[in-house]
Amino acid sequence: MTLTDDELVARSIGGDAESFNELILRWERPIYALAYRVIGREEDARDVCQETFLRAFRALPGFKGEAKFSSWLYRIALNLCRDWIRRQRRAPVVQMPEGVEPTELAAERGPVESIEELVGRRQLSAVVEEAMALLPEEQRTAIILKEYHGMTFQEIADMQGCPLSTVKTRLYQGLTVLRRHLEKNGVALNRVEGVASSKVAGQITPRLVRR
Amino acid sequence: MMTETYTCGDHGALVSYLYDECTPAERRAIAAHLVICGACAEELIALGGTREQLASWTPPDAQLGFQIGPEHSKSNILRPARWWRQPMPAWAQAAAAVVIFTTGMMMGAVRGVMQPGDRPSQEPAVARSNTMIPANTSTAAPITRADLVALEQRLRSEMSQPHGSNQSVAASPADARILERVRVMIDESEQRQRRELALRSAELVRDFDAQRNVDLARIERTLGQIDGTTGVEVAQQRQMLNYLMRVSQRGQ
Repeated sequence: MTLTDDELVARSIGGDAESFNELILRWERPIYALAYRVIGREEDARDVCQETFLRAFRALPGFKGEAKFSSWLYRIALNLCRDWIRRQRRAPVVQMPEGVEPTELAAERGPVESIEELVGRRQLSAVVEEAMALLPEEQRTAIILKEYHGMTFQEIADMQGCPLSTVKTRLYQGLTVLRRHLEKNGVALNRVEGVASSKVAGQITPRLVRR
Repeated sequence: MMTETYTCGDHGALVSYLYDECTPAERRAIAAHLVICGACAEELIALGGTREQLASWTPPDAQLGFQIGPEHSKSNILRPARWWRQPMPAWAQAAAAVVIFTTGMMMGAVRGVMQPGDRPSQEPAVARSNTMIPANTSTAAPITRADLVALEQRLRSEMSQPHGSNQSVAASPADARILERVRVMIDESEQRQRRELALRSAELVRDFDAQRNVDLARIERTLGQIDGTTGVEVAQQRQMLNYLMRVSQRGQ
């Protein structure tokens, strides 16, 4: 039987370390992904991830369950990321691949994906990462929480401590900057001149254009 | 609060529509506007395309596996292994083994020199117990050179036996760990080789395809040239034929 987060939290507070380990197992990947996307460094993201769980474990007796456990974790992780950025006093680092490591490519290649497609995907990922690094921290975090963690506008507003309308503005501005950067780097976003349709959002099939 | 009508430039409403976080009435209003406003529709397409491209950004794989220790102590978070706790590379293990063995040999030699009265045991070396005597046991006999020679002979005899007989020798936990580690290293090596093979195969296929495309293009070009040449010759022959026919008609 799979226990819910709340049940595991209750058991952890009762002294069951294994329950907390189960929570770690459940949430360490999303927390690591969040930290990596916000600060852009693999090693530091791991440290932030680890520190998040350490702090959560220490503060567990004070967790009242008013918010979801995951939201609480995300908040801790985001605070740690913010501290990290403040400490580093710099924008997130973009770990641009020096070159494509062929062994890694062969290992991660999907069964129907050619080497060329895989290289294209890696290039696109690098372009996106580069574009994300251009954004101010608040816009970047809003987009990360929305796009990669599926949060609602309200959850993001709670997380960022700002009004709902601010979240929407941050998302709009951030997406607009990303859009320009992607277009500048030759990524087609399927702009259709003069097309107006109520179903436009569902008809998008973007592709990477190589120049 | 959004009304039933949508006006251009309401970015908040557009974002709500983009992420499908608006009421049905708002959705209808925006959809109706998109039908008549190409600029807004275009922007929505581009923003949607941008969103789709974001999905390509994935964080690198990282070894995580954080855990809380069994004692449930708050200071007992198991952190990722530090460098001195990580598995030693094979070369380092070999170097450590050589150093330990050499030190043991030297200590044995020194003891042999300092206690010349000691004689090698008359008991055959192979009959000695396999269990290790703790170094700090006061009753333990000092290791002499003869002991080491006997040990060497025993090891040589064991090593010269066929592999099958090794199965009968009870492995100590340390041996089992080493064997396990060797097994893991062999597995990793096999995985590397498999990946290498996959890579080479993929490269081979790609090279083959590229070469085939080049050859096809060359053949096509050559055929085109032949066609062109043939066409010119045919035209010349036709001209010649026409000329001859005209000449023959004049002659008649």
